Amino acid sequence: MPIEAEPVSAAAESLAVEHPLPARRQWRQRSEAALIRGAQAGSEADLEELFRRHWRRAYRTAFLIVHDHAAAEDIAQEAFLSAIRTLHRFDRRRQFAPWLGRIVANRAIDWTRARTARREVDRDLPDGPAPAELAGGYSDDLLRALATLTPEHRAVVVLRYVLEYTPGEIAKALELPRGTVNSRLRRALDALDAQLREVELT
Amino acid sequence: MSARDRTIADRLRTARAPDEAETERRAWELVRSAYAEQPAAPRSRLRIRLALVPVVAVLAGVLALTPAGAAVHRWIEQTLGVRHARAALFSLPAPGRILVSGPGGAWTVAADGAKRRLGPWRQATWSPHAEYVAVAGGNELTAVDIHGTTRWSIARPRVRFPQWFAPNGYRIAYLSGTTLRVIAGDSTSDRPLAGGVAPVAPAWRPGYPYQLAYVDAGGAVAVRDAGTGKLAFALPEQSMPRLLSWSTDGQRLLVLTRDAAIVYTGAGRTVARRTFGPGQAALDAALSPNGRTVALLGARDLTLIDLAAHPGPARQVFSGQGLRQVAWSPDGHWLLVSWPAADQWIFIHATGTPRIIAVSRIAQQFTPAGSRPAFPELDGWCCTSSGGSG
Repeated sequence: MPIEAEPVSAAAESLAVEHPLPARRQWRQRSEAALIRGAQAGSEADLEELFRRHWRRAYRTAFLIVHDHAAAEDIAQEAFLSAIRTLHRFDRRRQFAPWLGRIVANRAIDWTRARTARREVDRDLPDGPAPAELAGGYSDDLLRALATLTPEHRAVVVLRYVLEYTPGEIAKALELPRGTVNSRLRRALDALDAQLREVELT
Repeated sequence: MSARDRTIADRLRTARAPDEAETERRAWELVRSAYAEQPAAPRSRLRIRLALVPVVAVLAGVLALTPAGAAVHRWIEQTLGVRHARAALFSLPAPGRILVSGPGGAWTVAADGAKRRLGPWRQATWSPHAEYVAVAGGNELTAVDIHGTTRWSIARPRVRFPQWFAPNGYRIAYLSGTTLRVIAGDSTSDRPLAGGVAPVAPAWRPGYPYQLAYVDAGGAVAVRDAGTGKLAFALPEQSMPRLLSWSTDGQRLLVLTRDAAIVYTGAGRTVARRTFGPGQAALDAALSPNGRTVALLGARDLTLIDLAAHPGPARQVFSGQGLRQVAWSPDGHWLLVSWPAADQWIFIHATGTPRIIAVSRIAQQFTPAGSRPAFPELDGWCCTSSGGSG
């Protein structure tokens, strides 16, 4: 579609859908190592199971960091394609999710930084839906609050509470000292809390 | 965790991103396709022994490419790969230069077989006269000369699929994320042309400055004037278009989708369609420079479809397990098939006297010393005097 006609409200479904995540027990009928082994041996069914287990969280992670659904889809897709390309080398003793999460988070941070730079030269290019344009008070609040954080702080919060990484896993994924992760997490939560309270007051 | 933190954490955990189901469906198609195109995984010794049970690679009916009546079929049984393959790429069987890229970087191959590594780029495209190469690397679009010297570069997020307009080379189209952008060949006037496009390489229409075909997020193919932004014509939505290719005269457009290969006229009228059966999807396709023949590559065979007859007869010309890409030589007489599973390139003479030339150890030849050999992607076989590339 031409640029001038590009809708910017496609993300209007927002984050507001409140179906609970499938319980992890339901997702883990076969071990991840078995699925990876199967995928490495050429089983498309095992690859699909692996993909289904991780897609939504990967996409969600990217979206919460970049706040652009199209970019988030690209980032998550590219992370999976990258995973496919190197699947045959993947050590099955490692966990797949942290590896994928690290790729997604780092790409999302890079994208957000690049977009910031791009705004200086591409004033005519839509930057995707701004948080304020998202429908739904709940998700609007949350996205507005997240938008006040730096991408690095957003990534730490998202990895901790969406992907449920431990601070140690986040430190490893983002190649940061654990103390830095903890301090970013604390500052991010303080900022989010302040932002959300402000919203409640207004 | 404090009650406050728990509240925030709960809100994040229960959040959903837009269109999760739809994005999942789209992404799975891409991932599945990429997985199907993967070369066979490295095998254990036991598996290598099992692989010696002949895996049939067939050169079939190359003679059938000659005029009707000379229907002699020759079948060559092989283990994995063509026997008596050349140990190195000593020369190309047709004029022009080949461009490849991959984990070993971007390389050019001259007609005399001389190879040159341009740099560590993973995606590349020829300028119309093979004097420059546009390369995509992460968040940067770069133009280099054939010696690998950088002429210019521009930072844009997630650059992919650079395509140089032929014959004058004055425009390069590329994707930056999901935005289709166009930049002048001297790096000036970079601007967006369309947003929300699918991750498919755009295709300039040769001889029609500056009409550009691309696929939008809904799977519809649009041909738009890059200068004015005006829509020249649009094709109906397809099921996951993955490749667009014009004939060198700009009169025919090949669209390869998950379900079919369709050839259109320059006005958007369907010339030919070949629908794939279950499990028969083509991985790659190439329209001959004269626009008369479509080469369709499945994972196991290469088929040629003659568009001069209607409906065009399909002729299987080569079979082998794990084929990946196909490209025409600029003169339209040879096809190059990449075969990662056998670590070979196969050159097939598609017109006149049937002939096949196989070259082995491709991965090693396009990997710098000290690195793990990786099979490269074919990025183009260039160029005719008019600037067309195969």
